[in-house]
Amino acid sequence: MSLPVMVLRVVVGVVLTGAVLHASETAAGVPTTREQAQEVFTKQVKPFLETYCSNCHGEKKSKGEFTYRYAIKYAGSPAFRQLWNHAAASVKAADMPPEKEDKQPTAAERKMFSDWIAGMKHLSPKDPGQFVIRRLSKIEYGNTLRDLFGVDPRAAAILPDEVFGAGYSNSLSPLLMEQYLLVANSVLDQVFAKAGQPPTAVEQRIITARPGNGVDERAAAQRIANDLARRAFRRPVSTAELDVLLSAFDLGKKHGRDFRESVRLVVKAVLVSPQFIFITPVSGDEPKSGVVALDDHQLASRLSYFLWATMPDAELMALADQGRLRDPTVLAAQTRRLLSDTRSRALFDGFGAQWLGIDKLAGKTFDPEKFPEMTPALRQSMYDEARLLFDSIVREDRSVRTFVEADYTFADAKLGALFYGMKIDGEGMQRVKLTNANRGGILTMPGVLATTSFPNRTSPVNRGVWVLEHVLGEHVPPAPANVPALEKQDQSKVATLTLRQRTELHRTDPVCNNCHKILDPIGFGLENFDAIGRWRERDESGGAVDASGELPGKQRFSTPQELKKIIAARLDDLCHNLTGRMLAYALCRQLEGYDEIVVDGLVTNIAKDGHRMQNLVVAVVTSYPFMHRRIGDLPGAGNEKK
Amino acid sequence: MKKNNWLIDRRTCLKGLGAALALPLLESMGWAETPAKGATAWKPPVRLGFMYMPHGVIMDRFWPKDAESFRSAALPPIIASLAPVLDRCLMVKGINGVPIAPFNGGPHALELSTWLTATLPDADRRASIHIGISADQIAANYVGGMTALPSLELATMPQTHKENQEGLNENYYSHCSYRSPTQPVPAEVNPGAVFRRLFQGRDQGPAKNSDAQTLSTDAALDRSLLDLVLGGAKDLRGRLGRADQQKIDEYLDGVRALERRIASIERRQRDGDQAGDARRRDGDSPLIEVAIPDGDVKGRSPEASQFVRRSGDGETEIKRSEYMQVMCDLTVLAFQADITRVSTYIGSTPNGASYPELGFSDQHHSQTHYGTDQVKIDKVAKINTLNVEQFAYMVSKMANLKEGTGTLLDNSIMMWGSGLENGDKHERKNLPFVIAGKGGGTLNTGRFITDTTGNQGDLLGTLLTAAGIPLDRPIGIGTKVLTGMLNG
Repeated sequence: MSLPVMVLRVVVGVVLTGAVLHASETAAGVPTTREQAQEVFTKQVKPFLETYCSNCHGEKKSKGEFTYRYAIKYAGSPAFRQLWNHAAASVKAADMPPEKEDKQPTAAERKMFSDWIAGMKHLSPKDPGQFVIRRLSKIEYGNTLRDLFGVDPRAAAILPDEVFGAGYSNSLSPLLMEQYLLVANSVLDQVFAKAGQPPTAVEQRIITARPGNGVDERAAAQRIANDLARRAFRRPVSTAELDVLLSAFDLGKKHGRDFRESVRLVVKAVLVSPQFIFITPVSGDEPKSGVVALDDHQLASRLSYFLWATMPDAELMALADQGRLRDPTVLAAQTRRLLSDTRSRALFDGFGAQWLGIDKLAGKTFDPEKFPEMTPALRQSMYDEARLLFDSIVREDRSVRTFVEADYTFADAKLGALFYGMKIDGEGMQRVKLTNANRGGILTMPGVLATTSFPNRTSPVNRGVWVLEHVLGEHVPPAPANVPALEKQDQSKVATLTLRQRTELHRTDPVCNNCHKILDPIGFGLENFDAIGRWRERDESGGAVDASGELPGKQRFSTPQELKKIIAARLDDLCHNLTGRMLAYALCRQLEGYDEIVVDGLVTNIAKDGHRMQNLVVAVVTSYPFMHRRIGDLPGAGNEKK
Repeated sequence: MKKNNWLIDRRTCLKGLGAALALPLLESMGWAETPAKGATAWKPPVRLGFMYMPHGVIMDRFWPKDAESFRSAALPPIIASLAPVLDRCLMVKGINGVPIAPFNGGPHALELSTWLTATLPDADRRASIHIGISADQIAANYVGGMTALPSLELATMPQTHKENQEGLNENYYSHCSYRSPTQPVPAEVNPGAVFRRLFQGRDQGPAKNSDAQTLSTDAALDRSLLDLVLGGAKDLRGRLGRADQQKIDEYLDGVRALERRIASIERRQRDGDQAGDARRRDGDSPLIEVAIPDGDVKGRSPEASQFVRRSGDGETEIKRSEYMQVMCDLTVLAFQADITRVSTYIGSTPNGASYPELGFSDQHHSQTHYGTDQVKIDKVAKINTLNVEQFAYMVSKMANLKEGTGTLLDNSIMMWGSGLENGDKHERKNLPFVIAGKGGGTLNTGRFITDTTGNQGDLLGTLLTAAGIPLDRPIGIGTKVLTGMLNG
């Protein structure tokens, strides 16, 4: 979605200003404990709202579709986080209450209000978040079939595409169930040779026992069922579960099937069982509510699906069987082992690509007349460049700073010629050292630059927003509805202006300028890159590109290289953003109140040892919400009123 | 705790919806395969179809000026393509969307998710799915047992999310069908997959598809196997916490639906009725032929809206309208062969489809904040027009297929619409939509009702009532049946 070029809400601008200007300062008035946050809320925030806001946004009215009447009842509830942020921004910017109102808060009152919101996370009680058994995603399901049966993971290709990580829907429909059965049928056809044909290698591996030598058919089937189900369910199998699988064998025999055909039915039963489709706890009665530690096998699955998008391997399973995986040293070592394995590529495909937004590149529309180069093959290479950079930072355990300031990249002949002015020999993607410091890192990577462009031109505003949101983790809400875009300008007056000059016209309006003074300089700093990421000296108008700018705090730059340096200096923000996003991905849910406190703690630790990438992942894996789960609703979070 | 028991009891039929309506409507409930005693003739079932476009319309190019001009030659440009079937269309102005407080934004996640639910997502639990069952699924619960598929869900854009609005779960952004308040129903985006699903287990469809995967080669055995697995799943359910039990319930629901599917395959295998001919009568039109493009949606991004056809000599992008038409054809085919009686088709999600064949590559959403920009207004109007044209293509086709004493369209209720009034200001006070089809005689068509007072729940409830679905409670925010839309 493209943001209108001219504007972002004024109030947003002020929040951004605050963040960029004061990122390193600690505001004295931000509550740091639960008690403090609660006290300020009761004694100051509530009276503030009643005095200044209640006429328009209180119990009776919701002017501009905005009311705090629900939020005030559950102030700490994550559901209202965005509302409070919005309110804080408006009040801080002196946008609210409106000028025409007689009653206006003092500067100190405004500060108290926005400080309280900054510290509101402390209202949240310690909580790992509600846990609900999770269905394997399409990718995970395909990979798991590969590991179990040696089939191509594309066996799962008929399942609908879905988003993984924080936005995962985790629901099952009749359509999906039907597709699971279809996939199971096709897997069975690959695993079991047709009658009269010699058995396949996989079949031989699955059939771990045969009747004969005093072993009857049923005993052999039981052994087979147990061995397979243990792996497929990723945990020990209960007697009751084994009985169900054995009754599938009996069903086959009753229908006159031979041993092999009946075993095939057992495998089919495994494939359509909820224990295979969902990651379920080791059997035993679950408590009805409360916080419990993840059992070893669940932890093994969570870790393995997080980093590899597939089932735990033998080593992880053995550690889980021995009950050793919860030991933090063992868990950290296993995390590093999984990251070093090539299967951790899944972390980029599932997480990294979403984080950078580069997962959109393949389907993005570009004007074919203007950019005939954007073939599927080139897009794939651009994607691979980002993937390989991400992988190198993970596997080589580099500082997360490398994401912004890498002095190397990966390119094939096409990328080398088009973007880097290099002749690259050999097949496929190669690691190359960069001598031009304007390149390197995600800010100036062609795939990213192309992702934030319009089909026919660059969007400095989109690029500015991308850097703020994806790199520094700030929140930039979409533009309001009634704002004119660049194209509305009087064409006769702007025809000879560069895009930068045209965009800057809005800067003469102090209201717009308030926020665009952050966004635009970043975007303009990247104007030397065209809509698909090629270097250029002149933009579409023919005018020379002016990539200089100044960010609040008198931070001047004149080239992309210098801009990168300013952004890289905000390493803690980058690290905080990346850690938070990764935790959300690992948990398959959005982060809520207490998670923010967790992330703060993790980032402090990660910073102590050079912001190294593997430490970051280990921190996520050994965190409280990753290793625990809450069953049932959290008391006092606004859920109990139903 | 909300108690949601969505199974609808025939005996509570129409309670609270006005007893006067009940009697004439009962006649239209003649879905039974054999005529009831004393009935004069077999009556085809009523089909219910929904087709969606996001971001609203350019209002003054969509609504006719007045009731008179609706029947005149000069239709507004966006709906001009409906001219051939206008006597079987119904337009109604004055339907309000769902008010969004306490949300303070999130217009696009809410426009799609409230469209068929007429229910606002639960604000306190907005990060996960908590909304209401959607009208199409209410209908599917009632009539779905009579057909091989309870309902059909289609889309011509992947349902991967684009952005998190107002902290709302991203799936609200791409789903309009909800099987239960916590269970969004995914849609198929690949025509080949849809076709295979429709003709699962049949030797011949109207067009043969060589690589059709088979759901079951031994239906009796598979059903017994699923029974065993179902039993095991119930054991598992008993050991889990409440939220986990809901997940297992979704699973159980899926397996039961699968058992019904396999039972219908079994029945057909036994009866030797491979093409579903038993459901049609002498004089009915033969099943339509559908050319299924082999290929896939281009790219995997949330904005992917082009279909790439694979053939011997490589890959070609087909026109977006062509992609949309195949889905329309499949809907018609599924209705005609009585494979399902309920269909929902998300023409595009709010993510921003693009329509290169219109001469510009801009994404839909990027043009909808047009203010007074005539260029953008024209582009949005063209996108609106193209979308209604596909709907017109579908219903015109249905109008040409003989069924019983009328046409397939006469026996259907097809609704095209959007979840916003206009995409520029995100207003939702006067939702744009068109109904086509006579609902087996229940809908009073060929008219433009210029001044109704009602909401989206009223509209959906009225359509379901017209389709003969007995409702034991209103849908979402609905309070009444819009009797002005109905005959008698």
